[in-house]
Amino acid sequence: MARKPECIAMLLAGGQGSRLGILTKNIAKPAVPYGGKYRIIDFPLSNCVNSGIYTVGVLTQYQPLVLNDYIGNGQPWDLDRSAGGVHILSPYQQIKGTEWYKGTANAIYQNINFIERYNPEYVLILSGDHIYKMDYSKMLDYHKEKNADCTIAMLEVPWEEASRFGLMILNDDGSISEFEEKPKNPRSNKASMGVYVFTWEKLRKYLIEDEANKNSGNDFGHDVIPAMKENGERMFAYQFDGYWKDVGTINSLWDANLDLLNPKVDLELDDDNWKIYSRSPIAPPHFAGKDSVIENSMITEGCEIHGNVDFSVLFANVRIEEGANVKYSIVMPGTIIKKGATVQYSIVAENAVIEEGATVGMSPESMSNIDDWGVAVVGNGVTIGNNAVVAPKAMVDEDMGGAE
Amino acid sequence: MAAKNVLGLIFSNAYDESVPELTAMRTMGSVPFAGRYRLIDFPLSGMVNAGITQVGVFTNSNYHSLMDHIGNGSVWDLDRKREGLTLLPPFSNRESGMSDGKVSSLYGNIGYISDSAKDYVLLTDCNIISKIDYEDMLKFSIEKNADVVEAYAEMIPSHLSKSTSFIIDENGRITETNFVDSYDKKLNTSVNVILLRRTLLERLLHEANSKRISDMETLFAKNLANLRVFGYKVEGYVKAIESVISYYEASLDLLKPEVRNYLFSDDSPIYTKTGDRTPSKYGINAKVKESLVADGCRIYGEVENCILFRGVTVAKGAKVKNSIIMQDTEIGENAKIECVITDKDVKISSRKTLCGAENYPIYIGKGIVI
Repeated sequence: MARKPECIAMLLAGGQGSRLGILTKNIAKPAVPYGGKYRIIDFPLSNCVNSGIYTVGVLTQYQPLVLNDYIGNGQPWDLDRSAGGVHILSPYQQIKGTEWYKGTANAIYQNINFIERYNPEYVLILSGDHIYKMDYSKMLDYHKEKNADCTIAMLEVPWEEASRFGLMILNDDGSISEFEEKPKNPRSNKASMGVYVFTWEKLRKYLIEDEANKNSGNDFGHDVIPAMKENGERMFAYQFDGYWKDVGTINSLWDANLDLLNPKVDLELDDDNWKIYSRSPIAPPHFAGKDSVIENSMITEGCEIHGNVDFSVLFANVRIEEGANVKYSIVMPGTIIKKGATVQYSIVAENAVIEEGATVGMSPESMSNIDDWGVAVVGNGVTIGNNAVVAPKAMVDEDMGGAE
Repeated sequence: MAAKNVLGLIFSNAYDESVPELTAMRTMGSVPFAGRYRLIDFPLSGMVNAGITQVGVFTNSNYHSLMDHIGNGSVWDLDRKREGLTLLPPFSNRESGMSDGKVSSLYGNIGYISDSAKDYVLLTDCNIISKIDYEDMLKFSIEKNADVVEAYAEMIPSHLSKSTSFIIDENGRITETNFVDSYDKKLNTSVNVILLRRTLLERLLHEANSKRISDMETLFAKNLANLRVFGYKVEGYVKAIESVISYYEASLDLLKPEVRNYLFSDDSPIYTKTGDRTPSKYGINAKVKESLVADGCRIYGEVENCILFRGVTVAKGAKVKNSIIMQDTEIGENAKIECVITDKDVKISSRKTLCGAENYPIYIGKGIVI
C-alpha cells in the first residue's frame, strides 16, 4: 500500500504584511527574518515536521521570489521527500481564466486538486504570520477524539486586544457555541490562532459551496467557519497555552525578537526535541574582538564584532566596528555598522550600511513626547551617511546623505 | 577552467596516528576544527569550489563520525545520480598482501578510479590547514604539460611527522625528493597534495602491486627521472596538524584576522553539515574577547582567546582563556580553564581549575566529567 498521509498541511503564505512597511516591500511577510537566523515561516514548517506532518502545500502570491528561493526543495526541514514534501502553490492560469487568490478559503479552493492527490482524512490550515511552537499532532488527536468536523486552535488573549481576533464562546464540552470575527465589543477573550484542522470531506463541501456563493468574501474567518457553524457542524476549540505572537507590526516584530533575550518569556528555541529548522547561512563562527562588549544579546555565525552590543539580536554576517553602539535593536544579515555609529531601538534590514557617527533611533525615555516614539527602521541595502540622524518611528528606504 | 575533468580523492585516515587523542574515536578527516567544521570540510569544499563533481573518500577505520558528517554529500552538492560523493571503505585485497596504506587503498579501489574516466586524479589528506586553489593547480599542470604535480609550501618541516621535501629547478620541475632529516630551516616541504593523470596513476599502481611498493613517496621517487614531475607552490597560510600542539596552534591562529579572512573568504566558502542551533546567547556580565564563537553557545562568564564550538555553555563566574572548547562542553560556575582542549560533551564542574601551558595544552577526552 502506498504511504497515504492522514493529514496534510496547507500554509497560507501569500500575505503582504502591509503594516511591516518597507520590511515587506520586496518579500512576503512569512519571509521576514526573525530571531537571528530564521524567517517567520520556519516556525509553522518546523512545527509540521516535528508534528509528523510531511506533506505541506505553501500558498504564495505576494512577492514570492525570496520565499520560493528560501523554501527551495524543503531540504532544511527534511521536506525533500519522494512521498509528500513541501510544494509551492502559486495561483495559475486555468481554462476559465486566471484568478488571484481572492481570500484564504479561495486559495485552498483553487488547490482542491492538489489536496485530492493525497486524499487525506484531515487538512491542517496554517498561516505564515506567527511565532510559536505547537504540536499539531496533539490537536489532530483532539479533533479525532471529539469526532469534530472542524477544530480551531484557541488562545486566551488580554481583553483589551481581543477585538483584533476572531473570538469564540465555548460550551462546557469544548465545542464552539458562537463565533465572532473581530467584534467591536468582545464577549470572550478566547481567540482563534488561525490554525484549523478540518475533516477534508467536510471542508471540501464547504469550499465548493463558498465559491458558488457570490456574496462570500471567500475567507475562513468571515465566511467558511460561520457557514459551518450555522449548519450545525461539530466544531471544537483546542486550547493552546504557549508563546504565540503575531509579528504583524514593526513594534511587535521588534518585541518578538527581544522576547528571545528575556528568560521569563516562554519561547525556548534551543530545544533538541522541538528544533526550529532554517536554511543556515554558510559562514564561520562569529568573532568577538578585543574591544567588543557584548551582553544580553544573540549573535549569529559570520558576525564580526568590535563595538558594543547590548539587548540586541544580530543576524549572520553583521559587522560592528570599533566604538559603535548597538542597543535594543534587531540587525539583519550582512549589515555594517561603522565606527562610532549608534543604533538603538531600531530594526536595520539586510545589507544596510550605517556610516561613521550616524545615529539611528532613540530611547523612549529621552523623548519629550512619548507618542512620537517608535522603533526606527532602515530598509534593505540602504546607506545612512556619516553623522546622519534617523528619527524614532522613521522608516528609511532610500539612502540618506551625510551631515556635518 | 573549472576542474570538471578531475576525480578528487581524499584520504580521511592519513596521519591519524600523529594526533592519537583526537583520533581515538574518529578519523583525521572528522577532527573538529574552527568551531563548526571538521578537517575534511576544507579539502572537500576546496574541490567543490574548484568545480570538481566526483569525489571519493578513503576510510580505513573509525569512520562512523565521518559518515555521519558527510552523509550523502548534499551539503557539498555532491548528492548526485552521476558522479558525486562516494565513501571508499577498506577493500581487502588478499592477493596483493600490501600493507594498510595509501597505495593499497588506491589499488583496492582501482576499479572506481578507472570507471570515473576523468583525465586527472587529485589526491589529498585532511591534516593540512590551508586553502589550495586546485583549479589553479590544474592550470599549472596543463601549462607545464606535467605528468605529476605535487603541492609544497616553503616551511620548516616538523620533526613530528615524516615529511618529504623537494629540490626544484628553475622551471618548477622536481629533480629530487628527500625524506626530511633537518628541522631548522625552511624547505620546500610537501603538503601531500598530488595531481596526476588518471591513466598514469593506474599504471603506477599496477607497478607498485607487482614490485610490492607500499608508500606513495617511494613510488614517485622511483619514477622521478622518467616522468615530468612539477612542484606547485602553495602561498598563504599553511599549517600541518601533526600533534595536539600543532592542532592547538592552528586553532588559535584563527583568531588572527589575516588567517581567518584567508581561510573563510566569500569567494571560496567552506561548507559543513549544519547543526540547526540557535544563535549564541550572551548573558548579563558576559565578557568575551578575541574569540571565535559558533552558534548555540550560552555565555555568562568570561572568555578570552578561545575557540568555542557549537552548544558550549560557560556559566557565570567561569573564566576560560587560551582554550579550544568543543561541542556541547559545559563549563561550570566559577571554574577556571586555561590552555585546555576539551573534546565533545565534556563537563567541567563548578570551581574546578585546570591549567595547561601554552606549549603544552591539556587535552580532555570526549564525554569526560571533571
